[in-house]
Amino acid sequence: MRELIVAKLSRSTLLGAILVAGLGHGVMAQDKATVITVNYPLAYIAERLAGEAVDVNFPVPADVDPSFWRPSISDISAVQSADLILLNGAGFASWIDRVSLPRSRLVNTSRTIEDNFIVTESITHSHGDGGEHSHEGLASYTWLDPTLAAAQAEVVAGMMSARGVASDDAVRAALTDLLSDFDALDAEVAAALSSAQGVPMIATHPRYQYLAARYGLSIAFLEWEAGAAPTDEELDELRALMAETGAQVLIWEAAPPAEAAAATEALGMANVVFETLAHAPTDGDFLTAFSASAKALADAASTTPGN
Amino acid sequence: MDRPVIRAFALASAVAVVPISAAAHGLIVFASVDCEAVIVEAKFSNGRVAQKGDVRVLDAENTLLTTLSLQEDGTASVPLSSVDHSGGLLIEVDTGGHDNYWIVTPEDISRKCGS
Repeated sequence: MRELIVAKLSRSTLLGAILVAGLGHGVMAQDKATVITVNYPLAYIAERLAGEAVDVNFPVPADVDPSFWRPSISDISAVQSADLILLNGAGFASWIDRVSLPRSRLVNTSRTIEDNFIVTESITHSHGDGGEHSHEGLASYTWLDPTLAAAQAEVVAGMMSARGVASDDAVRAALTDLLSDFDALDAEVAAALSSAQGVPMIATHPRYQYLAARYGLSIAFLEWEAGAAPTDEELDELRALMAETGAQVLIWEAAPPAEAAAATEALGMANVVFETLAHAPTDGDFLTAFSASAKALADAASTTPGN
Repeated sequence: MDRPVIRAFALASAVAVVPISAAAHGLIVFASVDCEAVIVEAKFSNGRVAQKGDVRVLDAENTLLTTLSLQEDGTASVPLSSVDHSGGLLIEVDTGGHDNYWIVTPEDISRKCGS
């Protein structure tokens, strides 16, 4: 099985990366433990599990894609001093391969779901100040399948208890509640999207692989710049993909610029926002935002011919 | 293990199986500290050593401190005495076609120097 955390490092590099001080790092009884996460879903999970017992910090600025965040030196100093560092795995957050992290405090939250990982092909491109990069290797937005998010929560809970960052009894009780909520979300989303199965859709960025796999959706992906109006070339790509798939639903990560929405509507697409939740949602929390997005997607799919 | 593959654009809805090694290669940068120097290593993800490239050393404010060249073995040595490393160091390697970075924190250095 691949070691996801350090998949891009050679063996010698790996040794160097992990040989940093981590031993003896404990949570002082009078201190509040600090938990660093690489995305919002893990922050949500950590907060649900430990509540006020820990300080949960998701350090990526709201306007930066957490997958491609480039941290500062002080950011990494803070990460290195955390009591737990919750990694998503599945190749999410490229910065973790560019710093020394204390292995004793690293938690690969997806280590129990690796058999569910989805492999993606590579597309090299660039956006913003993040430089050129590829969406390659593995689809990483695992939490868009609530059953996988639940599995990640179980790993987090186990590690919180093992490391003593929160009361074992409290974490166990909180995990029961959280898993129940994830179960309810899964059932709710499945019901909402049942009529959308088989309806061809297109997403402006490749984020929804696990959502599609869980709920039987047929989603093709573009590689559009997040938050920007599509270029003429990109609209041509959309036309080609529409012709190939017959899709009339276009999924955005965030509300598109008015110009972009108008351009795609003119092509006959129904625009719908499905927040990926890599960052905290604009309204509500993980559960409510996920549910709302699923309903919006179901509504959009229902407007297509034959539905 | 075979896994479903979802390719962005055009054939995205088709599911196939390909090995991960089909992904494009990139530059891997790693830096270690031995108290005397920061040793930079650069190689491509296909395992090939990066034999040529610029190594830029910046401080916490992104001020360029020095620029070195990679040696043929894909390494470069940055003597700690040659740079102000009190706020940590950002090591950037640029081979022309590829670039990447490694962050060395003050704690990384102090741990190695026992201070």
